[in-house]
Amino acid sequence: MRRLPVVALIVSLACRSMPKSELSGALSGAPLPVAVARPGFVLATTTGDAFDFGARTRGRLTLLFFGYTRCPDVCPATMQSIATVTNRFTSEERQRLDVVFVTTDPGRDTPAELGRWLGRFDKAFIGLTGSIEAVEAAQRAAGVARAIRTADRSGYAVSHAAQVLIYSPDDSGHIAYPFGTRQSEWAADLPKLMERWTGR
Amino acid sequence: MTWWCAATGTPWSWAWRAYPGVWLFVIVIVAGAWRWGRLGGAPAGRRRYFAIGAALLWAALDWPLGTLGGYLAAAHAGQFLMLAICAPPFLMLGLRDAIDTQVARGGGADRILHVLAHPALAFLGYNLILLVTHFPDVVDALMATQAGSFVLDVTWLVSGALLWWPVCAPARYQRLTPPLQMLYLFIQTIPATLPSAFLVFADYPLFKLYELSPRVHPALTPMYDHQVAGLMMKIVGDPIIWIGIAVVFFRWAGAERRADLAASRP
Repeated sequence: MRRLPVVALIVSLACRSMPKSELSGALSGAPLPVAVARPGFVLATTTGDAFDFGARTRGRLTLLFFGYTRCPDVCPATMQSIATVTNRFTSEERQRLDVVFVTTDPGRDTPAELGRWLGRFDKAFIGLTGSIEAVEAAQRAAGVARAIRTADRSGYAVSHAAQVLIYSPDDSGHIAYPFGTRQSEWAADLPKLMERWTGR
Repeated sequence: MTWWCAATGTPWSWAWRAYPGVWLFVIVIVAGAWRWGRLGGAPAGRRRYFAIGAALLWAALDWPLGTLGGYLAAAHAGQFLMLAICAPPFLMLGLRDAIDTQVARGGGADRILHVLAHPALAFLGYNLILLVTHFPDVVDALMATQAGSFVLDVTWLVSGALLWWPVCAPARYQRLTPPLQMLYLFIQTIPATLPSAFLVFADYPLFKLYELSPRVHPALTPMYDHQVAGLMMKIVGDPIIWIGIAVVFFRWAGAERRADLAASRP
């Protein structure tokens, strides 16, 4: 019995020295103040099939991004950064991750164009499109700002949310990655995200 | 209107952009050389050298290369090559007579120019600038503002002057014989291998600025861009210095031949 306080002390110290949650700083993304549920919306893939985001990605690590193919800066840089890392994954690692891109410019981004554009980065990226109303409903469901059109020399540009939302296999979003996240940061974080939430 | 090329983060376009600061800088250098260096009365060869150097300087700083330098690491490397390796020897050869005659012997400037011709000092000075100005944090910070970009460009020009001074200086400052000048230039190509190798073999892009800048062409990804920049530093930069070595060699061989001819005459 006299050993009990010593054992308790060791256990207490061991617990204190255990790593904190990875969300507390080991990841480059910005932890969300409260976890949010994986959104539910239905859009069409680049081949025209219906894609129920909530159902099709349930239980999987999912990266969700809203953008458009004519975007001159944020979208290509973000998709390129993620693709540089995912293209180096083993096929087994790659299968544990979904990257979903929803166009915020469905009027100009035809399914074929969207598919070609995403294929330039990673052929496994999932492109989704739909009516303006359906895309806006998807943005609302994901809790991001609604994309808006602003006139420019080429007709119009689309201002849209620039963060990549991460949904974990517990079907919650805990963290988001702002524009400016570097390839080296994705390379460090994606394996951690897979490890943490897929339990491998 | 922007006065100096820097990274703006705006989408790339081939539309021409004006950089009055660049024009003013080049005009000040040309006017200064004309007045102080008395280029108007200089032999045509000297004026030609200076004109080539000034044209290279202008091309490195102005649209489109200067503008591209805010988007692509490869263009940034091209600017480095032109400012630090190509332009300075031409500018110095153009002003060589003026330096020889205008700088008073024994004065402060004369002593400084003599010290700068020491190959060890030139080696250290050039390579220190080369390494520091290719450090990612330095590039990311300086290229983000016009003032920083200006400082970087001028620093590269100064580094080029340091690199070439032991070879292009008037005879009274030179400390190296032609064979040693060739050896000196060859040794100067070695340290650039370090930043070049980092750019080529890094797993991910080193410069945040060029990784996240708007793309100039979809096929030129940040990784390719960095690799091209690294390769340019060696594949383009080294041969330019080898041309300098060849020029020193042929001048030396010509001088030896003339000396032999003169000695063989009765």
